[in-house]
Amino acid sequence: MAALEVRGLRKQFGGVVALNGIDLDIGTDQVVGIVGPNGSGKTTLFNVVTGVHPATGGTVSWQGQDITNIGAHRIARKRLVRTFQQAMSFPGLTVYENVRIAWEQGRMRGSRWASPGMILDFVGLAPLGRAIAGSLPFGSLRRLGLAVALGVSPELLLLDEPGAGLNDSEAQAFAAVIAQLPPQGIGVCLIDHDMDMMSDLCDRLIVLDFGTKIAEGLPAEVLADSKVREVYLGPNRKAAAS
Amino acid sequence: MPMTDNSAGKTGAAPEGVRARDRLALLTADNAAVPLPAGVQAITAILLAVLLIALPWLGLGYRFLSIAITTLYTAIGLYGLGLQFGQAGIMSVGHAALMGVGAYASAILSVQLGFGFWTSLPFAMALSAIVGGVIGLPTLRVGGQHYIIITFCFCALFVVVLTNGGTFTGSATGLDVGSVTPLPGINFDKLSNNYYLVLAALFLALSATYLIGNSRYGRTLRAIRENEQLARSVGINVDLHKLGVLMVSGLFAGLAGVLQLYYLRHISPTLFGAFPSLYLALMVMLGGARYLYGPLIGAVIVNFLPEVLNLDPVDSRIAYGVCLLLVILLLPGGVGAGIKNVYCAVRGGLEKQGGGTNGRA
Ligand SMILES: Nc1ncnc2c1ncn2[C@@H]1O[C@H](COP(=O)(O)OP(=O)(O)O)[C@@H](O)[C@H]1O
Ligand SMILES: [Mg+2]
Repeated sequence: MAALEVRGLRKQFGGVVALNGIDLDIGTDQVVGIVGPNGSGKTTLFNVVTGVHPATGGTVSWQGQDITNIGAHRIARKRLVRTFQQAMSFPGLTVYENVRIAWEQGRMRGSRWASPGMILDFVGLAPLGRAIAGSLPFGSLRRLGLAVALGVSPELLLLDEPGAGLNDSEAQAFAAVIAQLPPQGIGVCLIDHDMDMMSDLCDRLIVLDFGTKIAEGLPAEVLADSKVREVYLGPNRKAAAS
Repeated sequence: MPMTDNSAGKTGAAPEGVRARDRLALLTADNAAVPLPAGVQAITAILLAVLLIALPWLGLGYRFLSIAITTLYTAIGLYGLGLQFGQAGIMSVGHAALMGVGAYASAILSVQLGFGFWTSLPFAMALSAIVGGVIGLPTLRVGGQHYIIITFCFCALFVVVLTNGGTFTGSATGLDVGSVTPLPGINFDKLSNNYYLVLAALFLALSATYLIGNSRYGRTLRAIRENEQLARSVGINVDLHKLGVLMVSGLFAGLAGVLQLYYLRHISPTLFGAFPSLYLALMVMLGGARYLYGPLIGAVIVNFLPEVLNLDPVDSRIAYGVCLLLVILLLPGGVGAGIKNVYCAVRGGLEKQGGGTNGRA
C-alpha cells in the first residue's frame, strides 16, 4: 500500500473540470514527477490533495487514513507538506524566523531536525538567517520555500515547480538538494517543465492532460509514449515544454 | 550559486553621508523583525520601570498624575489591540466598546450583586474575551476589511444598547461604583495608590506582551499576519488562532475597562463609542503596534498632547488628525519604528567603523 492513495479525484471550478477522475499511488521512498501542459491540472491536484481546495469528488488517503477535505493545516500536521508554485514566505520576518515557525509546528509531533539552523544549512541559506525574507533574491526565496516545507518534518513533500524562475546553475543546485531527500526518508512529488531534469531526478513520471492521467511509468518509457509526444509536440497544441 | 545579502537595505542604512533618501529610509524602514540584544532590552525596561515608579514622587501635581493614570489604563487596552493588530494583523476600530464591556460588566455586578473591584475583575475580563471572540467569528468567513466594519458597528450598537438599557445600564447617565476594595494597608482612594494599581496592571500587560511576542505562540500569530495560506500549509490552525488572539485582546480590554471604571467611579455610554474607539486605533498606529513600547508611546502622545500644547478639545482633534496623516505618510511603523530604525542605523554605523569584516551575519 502506497503512503498516498488518490482515487477518482475530481475538481470542478464552475464549468471548468480541472481534475477529471485521477488515480495515484505515491510512496515516501521515491521522487515522482508530474508533468503536463499549462492548465492540465497539476497545481489543482496538489491543492486538492493538501486541502487548499475541497474536492468535488473522489478520495485522498494518507497512510491508510481518509484525509479528503479535512483542512489544510490538519493535512500538514500529518506530515504531508507542499510548496507553492508562487514562491511564498512570511515576507516581513527574518529567514531564520520563517523556518523556525515551520519547525516549531513540526516539532510538536517530533522533528527530524534538531534545530531550524540545521534546515538552513541543508538548503544552503545559513548565511542569510538574519535577512528579511521579503528582501531575498528570487533564488534564495525558492530555497526558503523548500526550507519552510522541510521544517514541518514531511514524510512526503509536494513541490510545485520549485525550479521555475531559476537560472540553469540555480536549478541544478536545487535539483541536487531534492535528490538528497528520498534517502533521508522524505518522499518527493515534483511538478516541473524541465524534461531533462525530470528524467534525471524522477524514479517515475506521471503525465496529466486536461485533468486526466494519460501516462505513467519510468521516465524513458513515458517520454517515448506516443500520446505523451502528441500532447507535447502535437500539431494542434502549443508546446508547453522545452 | 550567487547569493547576495540584500538585507542591509532593509535594516537601517549607514549614517555616513546621509542623503535625503536615506533619511526617509530611516523613517519608513521596517526593522520590527530585527532582534534586539538582551542588554539593550533590559536597560530600556529598567529605565522605564524606574521612571514610571518614581512618577508620583516627582511633584508634578494632581492633574498630571490623573492624566498619567488615564494614559496607563488606556495603554493596557492598547496592548491587547497591539497583539491582535501588530502581531496577528487584525485591526479593530471598536476597541473602546470592548473595554466598555469590561467596565459595564464590573459596574453592573457592583450595582446588582454588590461585587467589589477584585471579585468582578475576572468576570469582566472573561466577558470581554468572550465578546471579543464572538465579534471575531465573522472574520473567519470574510476578510480583514469587513472585520473593521463589523467592529465599528458593534461599537455603535453597544452605545445604543447601553443608552436604552434602563436602570440596568443606567441609560445615558451611566452607572456609579464605590472605590477599589482596600488591600491591607493600601487605600486606593489616594490618587498615587490608584496610580500604582494601574501601573501594576500595565507591567502585567507589558510582560504578557513581551512573553507572547517571543514565544512560539507569538511567532504563530506573526505567521498568520504575514501569509495565511503558508501558515496553514505548515500546520497552523489559522481560524482558531484568529479567534484566540481576539479573545486574549478582549482580556486586556476587560482589565483596562475595569481600571477605567474604578478610576473614574462613574461611566456612561459615550466613553465607549466611536470617537474613543478611533482614538485607540490612532494611538496604536501612532506608537507602533509591532513594538513592545509602541502602544505605551501612542497612549502617552495622545493623552499628553493637548496638555503640553494647551489645546482645547476641537484643536486636539485636529492635531490628532494631523498626527495620523504624518504617521501614515512618514512613519508607517509608528514612533516605535522610528526609534528602532534610528537605533539600527546607529548600530549599523558603529559596526561599520569597528572592524567592518564581521558585517551583520
Ligand atoms: N482557483 C481557481 N479558480 C478557478 N479556476 C481554476 C482555479 N485554479 C485552477 N483553475 C483552472 O483549473 C485548470 C487547471 O489549472 P492548474 O491546476 O493551475 O494547471 P497547471 O498547474 O497544470 O498549470 C485551469 O483551467 C485553471 O484555469
Ligand atoms: Mg501550476
